[in-house]
Amino acid sequence: MKHMTYILLFLLILMMTAGLTGQEQFPKGEWILEKLDENYGSDNKIMVATMIIHGRRGSREVTSKTWVKGDDQSFTEYLAPPREKGTKMLKLGDQLWMYSPSTDRTIQISGHMLRQSVMGSDLSYEDMMEDPKLQNMYSAQVTGEELYMDRPCWVLELTSIKEDIAYHSRKIWVDKERFVTLKEDRFARGGKLLKTTEVKNVEKMDNRWVPTHALFKDVLKSGKGTEFVVDSMVFNAEIPDYIFTKAALRR
Amino acid sequence: MTLFKLAFRNLIGAGLRTWLNVVVLSFSFVVIIWMQGVLKGMNNQAVTSLVDAEYAGGQYWHKSYDPYDPLSLQDAHGRPPEELTDMIEKGRATPVLIIQGTAYPEGRMTTLLIKGIDPDQKIISLPSYFLKEETEELPAVIGNRMSESTGLKAGDTVTLRWRDANGTFDARDALIVQVMRTTVQSIDQGQIWIPLEKLRELSNMKEEATLLVVDKNILDPPKASGWEFKSLDFLIKDITQLVKTKTSGSSIFYVILLLLAMLAIFDTQILSIFRRKKEIGTLMAMGFTRAKVIRLFTIEGAMHAVLAALVAALYGIPFLTWFAKTGWPLPESMDSYGFAIGEKIFPVYSAGLVVGTTLLILVVTTLVSFLPTRKIAKLKPTDALRGKTS
Amino acid sequence: MIKFLIKGVLRDRSRSLFPVLTVTAGVLLTVVGFSWINGIQSNWVEVTAKYNTGHLRVMSRAYADEVDQSPNDLAYIGVNQLLDNLRQDFPELTWTSRVKFGGLLDIPDEKGETKVQGPCMGMAVDLLSEDSPEKDILNLRDSILRGRLPEESGEILITEDFAQRLGISMGETATLISATMYGSMAIANFTVTGTIRFGVTAMDRSTILADITDIQQVLNMENAAGEVLGFFKTNLYDNEQAEEIAERFNSKYSDKEDEFSPFTGTLLKQSGMEDILGMVDIYGEVIIIVFIVVMSIVLWNAGLMGSLRRYGEIGVRLAIGEDKGHLYRSLITESLIIGFIGSIIGTALGLLVSYYLQETGINIAFMMQNSTLMMSDTFRADVNAVSHYIGFIPGLAATFLGSLFSGLGIYKRKTSQLMKELET
Repeated sequence: MKHMTYILLFLLILMMTAGLTGQEQFPKGEWILEKLDENYGSDNKIMVATMIIHGRRGSREVTSKTWVKGDDQSFTEYLAPPREKGTKMLKLGDQLWMYSPSTDRTIQISGHMLRQSVMGSDLSYEDMMEDPKLQNMYSAQVTGEELYMDRPCWVLELTSIKEDIAYHSRKIWVDKERFVTLKEDRFARGGKLLKTTEVKNVEKMDNRWVPTHALFKDVLKSGKGTEFVVDSMVFNAEIPDYIFTKAALRR
Repeated sequence: MTLFKLAFRNLIGAGLRTWLNVVVLSFSFVVIIWMQGVLKGMNNQAVTSLVDAEYAGGQYWHKSYDPYDPLSLQDAHGRPPEELTDMIEKGRATPVLIIQGTAYPEGRMTTLLIKGIDPDQKIISLPSYFLKEETEELPAVIGNRMSESTGLKAGDTVTLRWRDANGTFDARDALIVQVMRTTVQSIDQGQIWIPLEKLRELSNMKEEATLLVVDKNILDPPKASGWEFKSLDFLIKDITQLVKTKTSGSSIFYVILLLLAMLAIFDTQILSIFRRKKEIGTLMAMGFTRAKVIRLFTIEGAMHAVLAALVAALYGIPFLTWFAKTGWPLPESMDSYGFAIGEKIFPVYSAGLVVGTTLLILVVTTLVSFLPTRKIAKLKPTDALRGKTS
Repeated sequence: MIKFLIKGVLRDRSRSLFPVLTVTAGVLLTVVGFSWINGIQSNWVEVTAKYNTGHLRVMSRAYADEVDQSPNDLAYIGVNQLLDNLRQDFPELTWTSRVKFGGLLDIPDEKGETKVQGPCMGMAVDLLSEDSPEKDILNLRDSILRGRLPEESGEILITEDFAQRLGISMGETATLISATMYGSMAIANFTVTGTIRFGVTAMDRSTILADITDIQQVLNMENAAGEVLGFFKTNLYDNEQAEEIAERFNSKYSDKEDEFSPFTGTLLKQSGMEDILGMVDIYGEVIIIVFIVVMSIVLWNAGLMGSLRRYGEIGVRLAIGEDKGHLYRSLITESLIIGFIGSIIGTALGLLVSYYLQETGINIAFMMQNSTLMMSDTFRADVNAVSHYIGFIPGLAATFLGSLFSGLGIYKRKTSQLMKELET
């Protein structure tokens, strides 16, 4: 009897070790998400970016400068084209305001307006406002390795951990060395692919890897999607607090 | 012998001539009533179709539901209370769940309402039974206008996307199992119908509904907390106004028809007097006062109308009743889009119309009979006897 | 012979006047009745025409495919030239451009922040031009509830229900938030100068009416428009004509390969009312046929009566020795003449009345409580080619048949009886 127990225990340990060894092939999903979030950083940033929106009748470019504080505060000013110039947006937490200089109006964008597309692009305000920290929304599991854009990547499958997350699951390709997401697929609850993000170019800025050119696309719609180009990015920027107030919108 | 008896005798005595006139006048009777009924029915058709296809006996709305504000749909769904589920079980009401969604026919994005309905329901004429089809994708039914505007036909698949109760995106492919042809735009434009249970499952709204459609014959809709009963009058308020306007416009035709009847009587009377000058002279010579003669002819004229009414009733009532019951079906002259919800025009004869028309014709006939008799007053009996025209 | 008969008819008024009057009356009623029923379809579609599709609607092909969504990003560019072309090629219609849009109406407080906000539908039409047809088409002048019509750029009308829900008063600022044709945000301040009521709940909820030049500027749609509507100058929708015009326009200007080339559709095809209008049309036709049949019977009867009246005269003529056949034919010819004269006069008078009903129409506003934009308070008749001859069917045919049958009685007359009758 004693022998049996010992043998079983031994087998159990063997199995567990084997399991562990098996697991050891891939890192833990959560760990990768953490590294991703680390790379993104929680410091203040100033970014100048151009959005190229491909429509049915041609493409448009909109350039903006954005001040970001932490995870949930940002201030954007549109620089071009002339019609957009001077328009400002302020995000505080889950609230969004917009200021239009031509009308001198500060308007809150809430509720159903958030689901509208930004400037006719494939992104909605909601998409742009989402929590950048994936680990707050998803649990992750590494399911494989792939080469993407000649970069070795971990392939992760993310499943939402909260009920009210817009995209039930995602699949991301993370550069193994640089911990930058190079491709992201977003899925509906039933498993249907809804939106994709493809990073075309990554640059090192200020010792961090930044995707400087990405294509965002609503898969269900036909069309060429929306491109995002980062013209400049400053990390650890000095940003005065008053920028993140409604008063700053009207200056 | 009373004037009435005499008048009657004269009419019958005239034989064929009288009957010809009576039949012609009776035609006018029946035609007037029939035509007005059809015109009214035409105008009412919009209301009847709407009621059959969407409103039946009225609807219970979830307290947050606002049909003109699609944003309200986010909150406008819930479990109906016992009083209402009771009705559903008895087949006296059927639940409908509505959520906002997006469809992508041929890669184009179009917003629409996704409506879930019980395929077995018998409350509204919407052909929900087509949704019983077993398919890999979601079975769906759309109206012909929706079909035209999206380019989707029966047999086509389309991707639908929506957000469930928690705001999470979900998307499935739907198969259009049937396109329904209907004149009712409100069950057609901007919406797609799928089986209720499927929608509840997919949107995470188990046992919930946005509204309940109640059977037509419901007498006393119970009160239910969190749900408001909207009566039929309320629901069709807009359209009834429009119909009223159109019906008033049709009344001009009524006047024309009435004039038709008058014409029929008028010439009969004039001719009758003209022909019977000798008779008039004789009567006056025998001691009839002018007034009495006038009265006699007027009564004769009026009797035409009475007899006509009776004759009209004889063949009119069965014809009109049959017509009212059967209705007049929509001519299938347009391109076939699919299944047609039986559209018919049902003529509307109100008691007022029938009684009013009868009285009106009687009055008018009497008047019209009277007018030419005034000529008699001017006749000298001696001339009349000789058959001379005055 | 005919000359003689005509003389007889014209001179012997007492004999012929009455039958002619009867035929005239019958024909008049037929013409008016027909023209009235003809107007029914027009009356039915009037509301759809005014607020939605016009009698003809020109849009870019791409816009037309998704017309229910009013996709301004697919609007037709080059509308000024388009209007010129339309006005030149199809002068029988009035052409005007419109833009439909959606967005939010945001009412600011003193600080310029949102006081209250609500989704809105918008319709932009030519409100400010002196000779704009829209004021009549939309019956705006009579439907202002509060305030006044916009007189300057930057002024708009909103529906009364909307104004009440937003708690906005006349002269206040309202900011429109919408999307330009190219997808950017369009934000513009407007002054609300008046309220209107459509009479249709869906529209009364949240609609604003703005001037098209303003909206074109705000939505970056200079020289562009979602739709160009055409209205027949007769105010009556004629489907055949509309289809023919659409056909001509499309073959000249539309290109199937170019989704942004203009495309014209008729009211019938675009309103989604094809079914119901087809029905109204057919039922209308049946009603007319029945009407004509009954009218014919009435006139036939009148003809019959007329012939019976001349019993004595016929007896005399037979007694003098007139040949029965000759007599019969002369009676028929007479009735034809009477029928003809009556039909001519009846048709002439009938057309007069019908034209009056077509141009002026019957205004039933007095029956309606509140005038709203959608309530067509004027009903019109529709005089077409058929109206000109339809009266002749009962007018000629009926009288002719009447005497045809009653005249047969001649053949039954026995010469032996004639003398006796003459004695009485």
